[in-house]
Amino acid sequence: MDEWKPNPAVKPHKKRSWYLAWKYKLMNQRALRKLCQTGAVLFLLVTVIVNIKLILDTRRAAYEEEEESAQDYDDEMLNVEVPRHPVSNKKVLDVEVYSSRSKVYVAVDGTTVLEDEAREQGRGIHVIVLNQATGHVMAKRVFDTYSPHEDEAMVLFLNMVARGRILIFTIKDEGSFHLKDTAKNVLKSLGSQVAPFLSWRDMWTFVGKKGGEVYGEKHAKSPALSTWGDPVLLKTEVHLTSVEDAECHWPDTELNRRRKRFCSKVEGYGSVCSCKDPTPIEFNPDPLKDNKVFDVPVAVIAGNRPNYLYRMLRSLLSAQGVNPQMITVFIDGYYEEPMDVVELFGLSGIQHTPISIKNARVSQHYKASLTATFNLFPDAKFAVVLEEDLDISVDFFSFLSQSIHLLEEDESLYCISAWNDQGYEHTAEDPSLLYRVETMPGLGWVLQKTLYKDELEPKWPTPEKLWDWDMWMRMPEQRKGRECIIPDISRSYHFGIVGLNMNGYFHEAYFKKHKFNTVPNVQLKNVESLRKDAYETEIHRLLGEAEVLDHSKNPCEDSFVPDTEGKVYVMFIRMEQEADFTTWTQLAKCLHIWDLDVRGNHKGLWRLFRKKNHFLVVGVPASPYSSKKPSSVTPIYMEPPAKEEGAVAVPAVAAAEQT
Amino acid sequence: MQKINKNVVLALLSLTSLVFLLFQLYYYKFYLSQKNGAVFSKVRGSQSGQDSTRWHVVRKFLGLISSHNIPVYLIDPLILGLVDKDIEQIRTSPDAPSPECKYFCAPRDFTTFALLDKTWKHEVGLFRTAEKMGFQWLKIINKDPRLDGMDDLSGIEIPLHYIFKLASHAIHLVVFYERSGNYLWHGPLRLKHHMDRKFVPFRKLHFGRYPGAYEKPELLLVSIDDLKVQIPKNPSSFLEEMSYSRFLECRYREARAFFQLYPDDASLDAVEFRKKAKSLLHLAALTLNNLGVKFWLSSGTCLGWYRQCNIIPHSKDVDLGVFIRDYKADIIPAFQKAGLSLKHKFGKVEDSLELSFQGEDDVKLDIFFFYEEDDHIWNGGTQAKSGKKFKYFFPKFTLCWTEFVELKVHVPCETLQYVEANYGPDWKVPVKTWDWKSSPSNVQYNGVWPVNEWDDVIQIY
Repeated sequence: MDEWKPNPAVKPHKKRSWYLAWKYKLMNQRALRKLCQTGAVLFLLVTVIVNIKLILDTRRAAYEEEEESAQDYDDEMLNVEVPRHPVSNKKVLDVEVYSSRSKVYVAVDGTTVLEDEAREQGRGIHVIVLNQATGHVMAKRVFDTYSPHEDEAMVLFLNMVARGRILIFTIKDEGSFHLKDTAKNVLKSLGSQVAPFLSWRDMWTFVGKKGGEVYGEKHAKSPALSTWGDPVLLKTEVHLTSVEDAECHWPDTELNRRRKRFCSKVEGYGSVCSCKDPTPIEFNPDPLKDNKVFDVPVAVIAGNRPNYLYRMLRSLLSAQGVNPQMITVFIDGYYEEPMDVVELFGLSGIQHTPISIKNARVSQHYKASLTATFNLFPDAKFAVVLEEDLDISVDFFSFLSQSIHLLEEDESLYCISAWNDQGYEHTAEDPSLLYRVETMPGLGWVLQKTLYKDELEPKWPTPEKLWDWDMWMRMPEQRKGRECIIPDISRSYHFGIVGLNMNGYFHEAYFKKHKFNTVPNVQLKNVESLRKDAYETEIHRLLGEAEVLDHSKNPCEDSFVPDTEGKVYVMFIRMEQEADFTTWTQLAKCLHIWDLDVRGNHKGLWRLFRKKNHFLVVGVPASPYSSKKPSSVTPIYMEPPAKEEGAVAVPAVAAAEQT
Repeated sequence: MQKINKNVVLALLSLTSLVFLLFQLYYYKFYLSQKNGAVFSKVRGSQSGQDSTRWHVVRKFLGLISSHNIPVYLIDPLILGLVDKDIEQIRTSPDAPSPECKYFCAPRDFTTFALLDKTWKHEVGLFRTAEKMGFQWLKIINKDPRLDGMDDLSGIEIPLHYIFKLASHAIHLVVFYERSGNYLWHGPLRLKHHMDRKFVPFRKLHFGRYPGAYEKPELLLVSIDDLKVQIPKNPSSFLEEMSYSRFLECRYREARAFFQLYPDDASLDAVEFRKKAKSLLHLAALTLNNLGVKFWLSSGTCLGWYRQCNIIPHSKDVDLGVFIRDYKADIIPAFQKAGLSLKHKFGKVEDSLELSFQGEDDVKLDIFFFYEEDDHIWNGGTQAKSGKKFKYFFPKFTLCWTEFVELKVHVPCETLQYVEANYGPDWKVPVKTWDWKSSPSNVQYNGVWPVNEWDDVIQIY
């Protein structure tokens, strides 16, 4: 027994002494018992060893398994997780607001959220909306209240902001000249003491909660008309509320989850974020019977005008026969807010890194969007192209569904557009009437894949060419004598007043009075007569039927067209060759229709309505329809005003409106 | 003293042993749940409980997706293999009740289904229902390859794979996307860093190691093991297709870098040539596919794909490769029928065969036939006026699918070696003057055709 060591880590050389002991014990009286004991010890030892081994084995197996599965299926790119901004538990925000003649800035907790010291811009009242629970910037606006009507826009905006949001105001340069009492009262109701007395070139900062406390206000009076008030810097603290308090309690549905995400991030979209009665974000318009464009992808070309995009998508999703799954919004730049709008409506959005500048940037964005559209929908033969500043008519898809087959079957066509350049309130009448025109209007149009893939895409203007894509598409090299189909009454409405080639004046003059169809389910007439040859027959029939107007009268006068309804009239103007639009341009000017370049013509013929009569204008002798002119009639010639000769270049620039 | 010692030791040993045993049990259990029984299922595979689990999981899954109106179809190679054996019977009596669970109970870790992306709307509701039914699910998303080729577009990431796990069985749902070139594509399965690597034994998945390209399948609704499920109409051809479905994406990023170095030729001539070459390639692909002749992009066309994801505008022809074992005598008449006249024919089926067809307006279609040896592959060239033969050597390669000018075509999977063999290490630099007899780095003089054979091996039209 002496040699038996109670050591589990038995060394091999002990084996022999064990054996001796065993032999000895076998002879002993208690041999059997000892045997059992030793047996048990051995057994236990073996169990322990086997167990250890098994554990090690399974461990290794598991490890290998993991290794194996990892090696093939790891993302080759090291995906560095972007650290999420830690939800700060801080309950207080430090806010700094600066107002001066040439510079404004707002800093929240040391982060500058607004800084504007650019010359000649950013004049007026800057407004920033913060989320009262997170402190995130939800909206940033500037209202140039030095100019008229901007204060109305500000009131509208402030009314849309939800109660409880934190509002920050600061004036740059001048903000009081056209700040009317209504606006001043709104500011007063927000808690501002100074607002009612704001005057010429005062500096002013204000931080307050909508419908709640005031966190601070500073004001510096302008001492004299010619000077500005001293710069003011307001430093204050804002107490954050809990997230629950900052949110509405809508029923928990898929839609409301999207709404919640949207409303906690941005402000200024009105009733979509209303707690009590939020406006729907799903529209479910009636489906179209026999919808030929249900599977046609829709590309919405957008920039950073999220409010426009919001309005546009609402009208698009309300149009009958819309298929949201086919809609892709292409955003030029990494802007968050347009993407938020896209997600609010549950659509898919794609962002595009801006390439080049100005018109070329737009043009590159168009190219990328069109290519992507046909890549994403490889089955599609067409794509509908829309822009973010268009309202879409309720029968937009119905209009396309009835006409799209022409694009495929008639090789002399290269687009269908929802927009009639000459379709103003006073010149468009018949929602069921279509035309063929030589100029591509854009603004809601259908593009054929073969045209894009075989002709346009390979030749598309490169980024260094500062061309407008639409002007380029209208060039004879691209158009190749083909035409577009357009409706008499447009199926889109261009509401954008800020844009690359757009301003308020321009919009008022050329777009505001555009006619827009609001009648659902319009049955188009004579779609088949839009085909190349049939259309000529139709025109000849029309001209044959048309009454020749009195060419001795002034065509600009209202009395030029008799006070009838539903008749067809024709007039002849002088047009020496195909590109001679001298008289037409003057006529267009006095008729208050599009005159910046030539639009809506078909072989020297224009079709519009005057006083509810169909009104045809034929250019003689360039137009093949000149033969219809009675020999007694002398074509009207209108001379351009002499002083405008120098301004010939203007139309070319301004005509690039469609952005 | 000794006695006590001994007892203590015995007790200690038993205790350790017991602890180990318990630990082992616990570990085993833990391991089971982690690995989904993968390691041990082989042992227990024959047990009926396990078998019916699989069937139940599949049934639950089919219930889940049909309640959301999502059309999936079965692409599990194991089950389709079994189904294929009885396909006649299954086709003829689609509603016959099955006496035993023959297919869905077969031992395996996964059941694989396919889903066409455009047939569902990505509703989140599906996953909520799945969770209620007890499924754990995993979604694998990645970049959208359809936008990959485009400058600076960043779309939302798209779902490529879903895995639904219930008990010890998992459903692998592969999302297929339609792409330009009229084919279906599924993405690779790559785990991001935060993902659970042990969710299922990913290595055993049948789909996802590589991206794959497939034809649009015709589907058949069948009832197998009392479950109604859609399967490819012809399971055996689907399985065949699956075995060589690997897809290579064009190297768009490198192509962009290339164009930064060597701006693309945007002249009208280049545009016109590309258009013609593209339509010639489409026509050639259609003709060869109709004949069932496997082909791949070779020489300049392959270089164009690999280097710039486009047709090289200054190349004057379209080059295709075909293995000589796939040669068919119908090739020439088929092309002639398609409107391409034979321009020349060099070599013979046994040696250095090369066909050249005239496309419209000067664009030529060259078909080189490749001969496989033990350690290399070669094709031949012939100089018409001298009867000289040339041999071009390539390392062995296999074929992969890719997309090129809106066409699903083959390229050598080992493209770099292939291109390097042909164009040397400087293949990245565009060369406008190219002599097929001396420029390639893999060319070797191969003697002269015997003069008496010239009429046969040098045919010029």
